[in-house]
Amino acid sequence: MSDTDHQPSRTRVPMPVAALSDPHMGDAAKNPERSEKIIAFILFLGIVFFGIAGAAYVQNWSPWTFGGALGAGLFALGFGLTAWGKYLMPQGPFVEERHTLASTPEERDSMSAALVERSAVVVKRRKMLGGLFAAGAGVFGIVAAFPLIRSLGPLPGTSLETTGWRKGMVLVDSSGRPVRRDTLVVGGIMTVYPQDTVDPQNGFITDQGQAVDQTVLIRVSDQPFTTEPGRENWTPDGYVAYSKLCTHLGCPVGLYEQELELLVCPCHQSMFNVRNGAVPQFGPAPRPLPQMYLGYNDDGYLIAMAPYNQPVGPGFWERNS
Amino acid sequence: MRTIRSRFLLPAGLLSVAALASLAMFFPGTNAGASGHADAAQISITPTHVTTRSCGTVNIKGVTSSVTNAGNPFLSSSKTCLNGHLISYGNTAITYSNPPQSFISAGRLLFAQTCSSCHGSEANGVNPDGGATIGPNLQGVGAATVDFWVSTGRMPATDVKAVEAERKPSRLTPVQALELAAWVNSLDPSVPAVPTPHLAGANQSAGQDLFSLNCAACHTIEGAGDALAFGTNAPSLENRGVTGQQIVEAMRTGPANMPRFSGNLTDRQVTDIVSYVTGRLQHGTNPGGAALGGIGPVAEGFVALLIGVGGLALICFWIGERS
Repeated sequence: MSDTDHQPSRTRVPMPVAALSDPHMGDAAKNPERSEKIIAFILFLGIVFFGIAGAAYVQNWSPWTFGGALGAGLFALGFGLTAWGKYLMPQGPFVEERHTLASTPEERDSMSAALVERSAVVVKRRKMLGGLFAAGAGVFGIVAAFPLIRSLGPLPGTSLETTGWRKGMVLVDSSGRPVRRDTLVVGGIMTVYPQDTVDPQNGFITDQGQAVDQTVLIRVSDQPFTTEPGRENWTPDGYVAYSKLCTHLGCPVGLYEQELELLVCPCHQSMFNVRNGAVPQFGPAPRPLPQMYLGYNDDGYLIAMAPYNQPVGPGFWERNS
Repeated sequence: MRTIRSRFLLPAGLLSVAALASLAMFFPGTNAGASGHADAAQISITPTHVTTRSCGTVNIKGVTSSVTNAGNPFLSSSKTCLNGHLISYGNTAITYSNPPQSFISAGRLLFAQTCSSCHGSEANGVNPDGGATIGPNLQGVGAATVDFWVSTGRMPATDVKAVEAERKPSRLTPVQALELAAWVNSLDPSVPAVPTPHLAGANQSAGQDLFSLNCAACHTIEGAGDALAFGTNAPSLENRGVTGQQIVEAMRTGPANMPRFSGNLTDRQVTDIVSYVTGRLQHGTNPGGAALGGIGPVAEGFVALLIGVGGLALICFWIGERS
């Protein structure tokens, strides 16, 4: 192989730069003035819609107004830009001779000079459209900054570590009825909440903590059993309770199969064996479901003997275990 | 303009054909085969002349009578026993009744023919040589359990090694199911007896809430059923062959992997759920036009991807097209 094989071809093909007077550089639309007016109107509409969206955010109007105005504004901006490119840009066609990929520095310089000159002239020709587009994008940027800044706070504090369960709280169902020794037979399951979060007359009364307090109560057998060493007295009469929040992504683990003694998460099919401390048997869940220490109070109602001994639900950065 | 339209014709046509084909896949097909005895009327074994009587020989094993939560065969302190062992637990929502004594002899013969090879000749799960049979011990399960498994066609099972006995057209008539229930229950009388829900005063709205809370996790919010762990599945409830009686039996007895709903649902709440399933889910309206099988985000995402992304592709085509 000779050195000449590695040399790029230096065949010089003059870059045809269309002159502004070239008919191909004319607008694609048949009636550019009318098209420009239409596009200008659409871009102006975009500004108005962004303004409405901003007002809706500040004045706390309905989400439909906010979302509708934001969507209409973005659509107007996008449609205007597309139509501008489609109807008011040089119609072409432009034919470019094929030549070697690498150009000489002189060719590149002349090319970029020509491009800058041509594009500057063509874009500057529509000063009003450019200004309107810039104004629309600017208003959108200002409006979008409000929710962005607001979403940075407040800090969660200890709310990720704790639930509404306290020592001695009675387990109640969703209508506020307390759970007794014989509410469930073997193979039964129900969702329970701490006593204070449910009002028997009005149903739910608190917004705070309701989701993280959800607990599944299952009667696995007639006899107490030990799920894990150190939890010897946690399952009176075969009742066992686990947090209902999956340790993977927090879905409600509500599917109970009584013959397999498995709790199944409906989102990603994580399976937890309720007899062995809800250790994951399958699926992406990284940790067992937190177990609740159950007992009875003097009136014979099931109570929590202690709060959960670890954070419930999916993991987070500051989590220790 | 003409040429542009003709260029759009092919991709638009292909997209609409694909969209129609994908939609058609989700429309309910002919699943009548799985409907069981769909046209068999719910059989009533209520005696014609009901008179209040003492409870007699009705056995309520394992039931503590100190509980005030009335309206439940497991928990009720207030029982009213009527003739023919028709029992009401302090409410008018559900009456539980054991099949008449006259069914027992026929049931014994039927059991020997169709059930004894798997459950043993005495329904106790014991072989003649003393070993365990394939099927479980049926003594003491209550008449409702037997009636549920037989009337839904799950028993007699066609494949005894299958993970689950699937619902299928029943080989036995509703009366034969009650005859089997009568004989099995006579060996070791127990609760619950065969329930008859009375839906006149049922609250469908409350039933919807209770369904969402207790049933929807496995059966889906539409009642379409879904797959569970290790090859098991929660069956569809949308099929109109699923009777209110069978729903009550399933809730009160907990067949196979289904949990057993006892003290956390009163008889009145159970009839609310039955009313919602039979009156609403089984007669669903689809405001959107297509339910897509009622199986949630997979089907909906597929259609959204096909039609939504396909439509976006057509818009991109328009943008790139020179005018």
